[in-house]
Amino acid sequence: MTAATAAVAAGVLGDRVWMYSNYHCNMACTYCLTDSAPSSPRRQLSAEAMVTVARQAAELGFGALGVTGGEPFLRPDLPETVATMAGILPTVVLSNATQFTGSRIERLRPLVDADVAVQISLDWADAEANDDLRAPDNYARVVDAVPRLVDMGIRVRIGTTLDPDAEVSDEDKARLCTLHRSLGVSDDHHVVRPIVRRGRAAAFDMGVRATAADLPPELTITTDGAFSSPFGPTVRDGVLDTDLLVTRTTDPLATPATALARIVGKLPPGDDAGLGIR
Amino acid sequence: MTELRTLAAEAAAAEGGTRPLVALIGADQAPLLARPYFAGGEPGPIAAALAQVPELLEVAMPFLGAVLGPSAVGLRTKEMVILRTSARASCRYCIDSHTVVARDAGLSLTEVRALRGELDATAVFVDAGDRAVIGWCDALVGTGPVAAEAKATLLASFADHEVVELTLLATTTLLLNRFCTSLDLPSSPEVVDRLAAEGLR
Repeated sequence: MTAATAAVAAGVLGDRVWMYSNYHCNMACTYCLTDSAPSSPRRQLSAEAMVTVARQAAELGFGALGVTGGEPFLRPDLPETVATMAGILPTVVLSNATQFTGSRIERLRPLVDADVAVQISLDWADAEANDDLRAPDNYARVVDAVPRLVDMGIRVRIGTTLDPDAEVSDEDKARLCTLHRSLGVSDDHHVVRPIVRRGRAAAFDMGVRATAADLPPELTITTDGAFSSPFGPTVRDGVLDTDLLVTRTTDPLATPATALARIVGKLPPGDDAGLGIR
Repeated sequence: MTELRTLAAEAAAAEGGTRPLVALIGADQAPLLARPYFAGGEPGPIAAALAQVPELLEVAMPFLGAVLGPSAVGLRTKEMVILRTSARASCRYCIDSHTVVARDAGLSLTEVRALRGELDATAVFVDAGDRAVIGWCDALVGTGPVAAEAKATLLASFADHEVVELTLLATTTLLLNRFCTSLDLPSSPEVVDRLAAEGLR
């Protein structure tokens, strides 16, 4: 058993390996960790690299995969690639759901019956508040896409990101939950986290401050290297943060996995539970 | 922009506009594996550049520390090797940095100038061991086989383990010379000021 395998088995290292499939996005959310926008450099992991990470993650004892960006579904090859990955380990893909309009949703057919969940961002139960920090019409596209994905047989999760300084009433939260239930997504598949003060959120002076110890260690692979958390490879003003960089080497995956296991053993206890970053 | 980048820019400006080829990582952006090297403040441009690849930094720095740091060969001799090799390889960063270290190791202004090639080293250094070290450095900087005379001279003054260490020191210095020169690493303002104060720059 390698050090990485032991760390995963012991719960010291997160069970999921994340990948940044690409950094560009058709939106430019105010709190985006990666400063993503349509003009952002793509910094794309190849499909082959993503599947290689999946295979090696399984060999090392990891139990799940995650894909984020950027908007992953801007890549034409994403559905097929994720379907292949899901044949290796259960996979969640984060999305803004803007690429599923009309017949374009058929592109996701490879994900039907695959061990995949598409986690779609939805922050508020009303369009104006939701779209204010995200993009015009984002709310409308989400409420249109989610039930159609559910009808296709694709598992959908809702991911909500909240500004910790914003006044969010219990009524607001209840309305949001009523909404996602009405779209066909149960409470078990609704995740909520605060905005983290990194990337563009930091530029806008938003979100909770989180140190390396506060962020649950989850190996995260990008075209720039391996990071200790999906909150690690953030970009501010076009410059990649390296403070949570583990190694530049990503293949073999054992190199960053072993290094991260070693690092985690030396980190003091953090406050991921208190900050709600899970 | 980090403090180090600012210092680097100041140093670069002092040197006529030379800027590092790559970003030198500052303490606020130090990768996780690199953080021990930033614990005491900015670690200098070699470590700050190596921090771009933390898995290399964490093996390179202990190696460099072992080879260049205190060991069985005396500090004065080691600094002679580093400064002479750097001068022969025309590494501005290493010459600047190790001129200061050589002075602190007890080498005189005249000896430093000789090692830097500004004076005749054979006239300044009369000790057979010192001359052998200088001859060894000069031989190693070249290409192809190392001259038999340099080998014999070195063996006459040093034991086998010292020959190994001096050779590793000189060749590691050559590695650093090309690393620092190709990345245009800036001399620190403190080094530049010290050299100016001693008339060595």
